[in-house]
Amino acid sequence: MKFLCNDCQRVMEFVDNMASEGGGSMAIRYACPNCERSISMITNSGETQVVRSLGVTIGHEAIHAAPEPMAMIRGALAGQRTAPTVYEGPEPEWTEAALKRLAAAPVFVQGMVRRLYGDYARQKGYAEITPAIMTEARDALGMTEM
Amino acid sequence: MTDKSDILNQVLVQRQRVAERLAKIEHVVAVMSGKGGVGKSALTANLAAALGMRGWAVGVLDADIHGPSAAAMLGARGQGVAMAPEGALPAIGMADVRVMSMDLFLEDDNTPVSWQHPGGLAADTFVWRGTLEANVLREFLGDTDWGTLDYLLIDMPPGADRFETLMRIAPALSGALVITIPSQVSHMVVRRAIQSARQAGAPLLGLVENMAGLADIQGETIQELFPDGGAQAFATEMEIAYLGKIPFDPRLARTTDAGRPFVLNYGDTPTGRAILALARKLEEVLT
Repeated sequence: MKFLCNDCQRVMEFVDNMASEGGGSMAIRYACPNCERSISMITNSGETQVVRSLGVTIGHEAIHAAPEPMAMIRGALAGQRTAPTVYEGPEPEWTEAALKRLAAAPVFVQGMVRRLYGDYARQKGYAEITPAIMTEARDALGMTEM
Repeated sequence: MTDKSDILNQVLVQRQRVAERLAKIEHVVAVMSGKGGVGKSALTANLAAALGMRGWAVGVLDADIHGPSAAAMLGARGQGVAMAPEGALPAIGMADVRVMSMDLFLEDDNTPVSWQHPGGLAADTFVWRGTLEANVLREFLGDTDWGTLDYLLIDMPPGADRFETLMRIAPALSGALVITIPSQVSHMVVRRAIQSARQAGAPLLGLVENMAGLADIQGETIQELFPDGGAQAFATEMEIAYLGKIPFDPRLARTTDAGRPFVLNYGDTPTGRAILALARKLEEVLT
């Protein structure tokens, strides 16, 4: 949406916007580049949400770094599981002995086991996965094999 | 005039992210029908497992936002979604199939998919829900660290509208695999879905007739389940390749419910062989 300064016949320019507490509405300020007269447009909750549903950030929240993965889903979905685990470090290394033990599992579950044990190791801050850590993870996760 | 939120640029960045992810995936295939209840999700899970058994790196994106089932059918429900610097880590299911589904985000089985509405305008959610759910699909595609994949199967919900959305988000789609059952009513609905996919510019990879008879679990015979639906003739009429028929085996329902795709344990049954043959045909079509 654009606005015209009737006195100067100039298109007003965006100055800033301010999201209300709770993010339901926004006040968007425009000013004439010539006479500096300003106006504020207030959006209602529905209009704000239409823009948010594009998966973009708006208002003061838009002083952005790169958005987090799945930011829109995590920000908007009601009834979510507890916050997803966030891993910052590199993936733990699997030692040769651990890989050998993994290879003994049925081939169609190896990827799943690798992921579960990898997650466990990351949560514990282990840099590598050894057979001993596999045993620890198996016991902690209540798995009967591997 | 400047927009400090720079919404246009944010949208362009989103598109770029999807393009970068998909560049590492050899084939992106939508499994669609238009019709509900044709066994599309179970067939997608089994097809993914069959491709995995054949040595391919496979992912499944569950585009059925309100009825997600892929994680359960691939035995990946318990894992949830973890966030890493490279993106959201998909769950890993049977046969190493990587899975992203709304099911992985939800608290429990009693929690429906619903969206928060700042400002309390619950009655107006219909205004923006469609856009938001299109962006769920975009986040699933662009924010998931799929890694390098040979095949990404997208399990589409019933109806044709989400397919058009998918084509807009992922125009580099390899094509659509269309599922029907031997019923004239199914063909009637699937016919519209095929035309809709054509209008959206999607390559149509082929038609599969699911639930084509009831497999005798003691032997090799196939009993008629529906009257002959004439899927092959239907495929010819619709100018789409006929990729074969998959008989129904009651064990498929049981194993898939248990999160263990049927084809893993019953590959040498009429239904298992048909699913493996479909995997081979899909490979051929995409070569």
